[in-house]
Amino acid sequence: MMSKPKAQQPATIHKVIMVGSGGVGKSALTLQFMYDEFVEDYEPTKADSYRKKVLLDGDDVQIDILDTAGQEDYAAIRDNYFRSGEGFLCVFSISEQESFQATAEFREQILRVKNDENIPFMLVGNKMDLEDKRQVAVEEAQSRAQQWNVPYVETSAKTRANVDKVFYDLMRLIQRSKEASQNASGVKKPNSGKDKKDKKHRKCIIL
Amino acid sequence: MADGGLARVLSKQTFDPENFVNKVSQGGEDELDEMQKKIQRLADETALALKRNVYKHYSQFIETAKEISILESEMYQLSHMLTDQKSIISTMLEMSLTSEEVVTPGEMELELPTEDDVQSSLSILLEKVEGCSSMLEAPGRHLVHDGDLLELDPESLSPIRELRAFLLNDVLMLAAWLPHRRGLVKYRFQSLYELDNLAIVNAKDTGSMKNAFKILMFPDTRTFQADSPKAKRQWLDKFEETKKKKTARDKQRKDATTPDRSSITSPLDSSNPFTVDLEPSSPVSSDRPQSVAIEADLLHLPWLQELPEDLDVCIAQRNFEGAVDLIEKANDYLDGCPKSAAIREYRGRIEHRIQQLTEILMKELQISPERSIRGGPRAARRAVTQLIRLGRSAQACELFLKNRSTLSKYSLRQVKIEGNTALYVKKLCELFFNTMAETCQEFIKAFPDHFGCHAAFVVWAKQEINEFLSTFKSQVFVNKTPFAVVSDCVQEMRKCCDQLSDIGVELTFVLDCLMAEDIEKAIQDAGDNQMDAVRHRAMEDNWLPMNFQNVTALQQFENSMINLGIKNIHKYTFGECFTELTQNTIQFTKSYLPFLDAMMTIYSSQHHRLITAAFVDILEAQIRHAQVCARDTKFTKEVV
Repeated sequence: MMSKPKAQQPATIHKVIMVGSGGVGKSALTLQFMYDEFVEDYEPTKADSYRKKVLLDGDDVQIDILDTAGQEDYAAIRDNYFRSGEGFLCVFSISEQESFQATAEFREQILRVKNDENIPFMLVGNKMDLEDKRQVAVEEAQSRAQQWNVPYVETSAKTRANVDKVFYDLMRLIQRSKEASQNASGVKKPNSGKDKKDKKHRKCIIL
Repeated sequence: MADGGLARVLSKQTFDPENFVNKVSQGGEDELDEMQKKIQRLADETALALKRNVYKHYSQFIETAKEISILESEMYQLSHMLTDQKSIISTMLEMSLTSEEVVTPGEMELELPTEDDVQSSLSILLEKVEGCSSMLEAPGRHLVHDGDLLELDPESLSPIRELRAFLLNDVLMLAAWLPHRRGLVKYRFQSLYELDNLAIVNAKDTGSMKNAFKILMFPDTRTFQADSPKAKRQWLDKFEETKKKKTARDKQRKDATTPDRSSITSPLDSSNPFTVDLEPSSPVSSDRPQSVAIEADLLHLPWLQELPEDLDVCIAQRNFEGAVDLIEKANDYLDGCPKSAAIREYRGRIEHRIQQLTEILMKELQISPERSIRGGPRAARRAVTQLIRLGRSAQACELFLKNRSTLSKYSLRQVKIEGNTALYVKKLCELFFNTMAETCQEFIKAFPDHFGCHAAFVVWAKQEINEFLSTFKSQVFVNKTPFAVVSDCVQEMRKCCDQLSDIGVELTFVLDCLMAEDIEKAIQDAGDNQMDAVRHRAMEDNWLPMNFQNVTALQQFENSMINLGIKNIHKYTFGECFTELTQNTIQFTKSYLPFLDAMMTIYSSQHHRLITAAFVDILEAQIRHAQVCARDTKFTKEVV
């Protein structure tokens, strides 16, 4: 009654891009988030995109996930992936030091392509269930995240720990970034309120 | 009944009219009358039947006529297709010549398709897709896969349009369906993506979207839907395979060219995904690896590598100057490099963009109905300057002048036709020659060092004048335009045209040449009129001094004569209202002097003889009249 009648497709689409070296679990995280399934067998991804309707803080939005290939050789092609994204989950495996080192280069490339220091970005340490094989210390990862001024979250695609959290947190970052740029350009989105009540109230007025 | 019988008799093949008449005439008058009526009735019936038949067949006539015209158009199409085919064959012959040069040993191993395959696949493309001939010029290109795709809106996933996609060994070409297919041509070229930088994304099925994939090529993100899961799989596999082949080919070339380099930054070592894989460097010619390696180095400058993309950005932003700067920079650099296949390939990529840029610039200059015509010469100059820098001065010149023609025509049309011909023509002339002068100045500014183009300008100017003159003639050299007006108009035009010579364009002779005939005729006609008037007046002459009845009228007469240039008119007046001159003389003066003025206005050396002859003839006629009068007994008596 209160809410605005909307078309079948929610207007807002948040475009998330999974980046990281090969085999760190980008697809596993994506599939767990999409279908609540953990895929054990490893098959290198080429480039897959997924779309899902989700409820983000009471709003219907769509998430568009682009699961990229860790093995992509061509910088130019990666550039094209990155340009299409609004937020990035930069994934490494806590059990593989090289994959953690590679995140710096991914970060650098994303910043170069998007040309925005404040691009929604999260550092994700996956495979936290493999504590016994840990090669990257939590402190090490956190200090890098601090240095970049981005959140650090550890996940497990296998146990589903923090899987929803990283996607939802990133969507909120994207949402906030979009609102900021909209406010900057003088357009106020009707449902930008933080409080749910407040928001409903606003909608009422608009209607 | 009898009528029916009679009809049969008359329509018999062996019918003998004489015999029939003989027989009928034997029966006497009544029978003849009867027979005449019968035949009359028969004739009427036949006419009616004929009419009905014509109506009945009318629709058939129309149908047949239509059929014939369709057949005709089909024959035309056929002949068109045959010529097309012929041109394709000749193009292919050319292509096969060039591709032979470029196929290198390295490629031979990888490229399985034979020359025949390459040609046949390319010819299919040429047959089906309109506007793709330029992209097929690249040597060694061949078709890998093609199929229909439905493009979806990337946001809402709703269908946008149907496309035909062609995957070639190094590019992806998209072509739109033609609404009205013409023969074999079913598609129009829409866009081209280099496979090197193209990101292909497999879009997982969600809701309404099934069997879709995306291509990402900044700034485009496009989503396509295939007919079936199988078709989509095929597309993705073909993309993958083709890209791999291309990568392998490029790598092989590079490895062969830079054996020492591979040990430093091994591109095959994929543990580090950031070994930036540079552009395909060069096909191998194994006998001189050293020089080839140098060539590859020459191409591996960062700015040179980014140049094609920067160019795209410049073009998209309509920063034409920037784009041309880049192109010139690249060309300068490449000119300093030795000619090699690698350089040629790189050049090919740039050429493709130059083509794009040129098209956009040309569009700038073309006047289209949806764009404002008032862009003005300054807007055009920008495009022209860039086109010249791209070495397209001839096209630039042609388009620029066409643009100006349209502009000039448009502004001429804006001038309102007024009752006063002289005024209207004057306005037209001023406008036309001002525009011409402006064009000339613009032209000199736009094409400062392209003297070859100046000839084009002169030709153009001549054409313009020719066209303008036809308008001018239709206004001026028509019946009933007073000669004074004609000469005024001509003079005005000459004056305007003379102004052009101040800026270095002398076109008066063209004008004179084009108008000579009309002017001659006008002079002749005006002269004849004068002669007629002289004769006419001579007949009515009563040879009496003119009486103006009152002082004011006399005063008026004197003033008008002074205005005509006869300053000593007082000598010929006496009393309050008399002049010694006759009515005839006064009228002659009043008509002859303005005629003289007009003649001298229109005068040009070319018409010298004609004009003087007219003067003399008329004057002589008038004098002859005076002589005749002097001898005439009727008048001599009065004088005495």
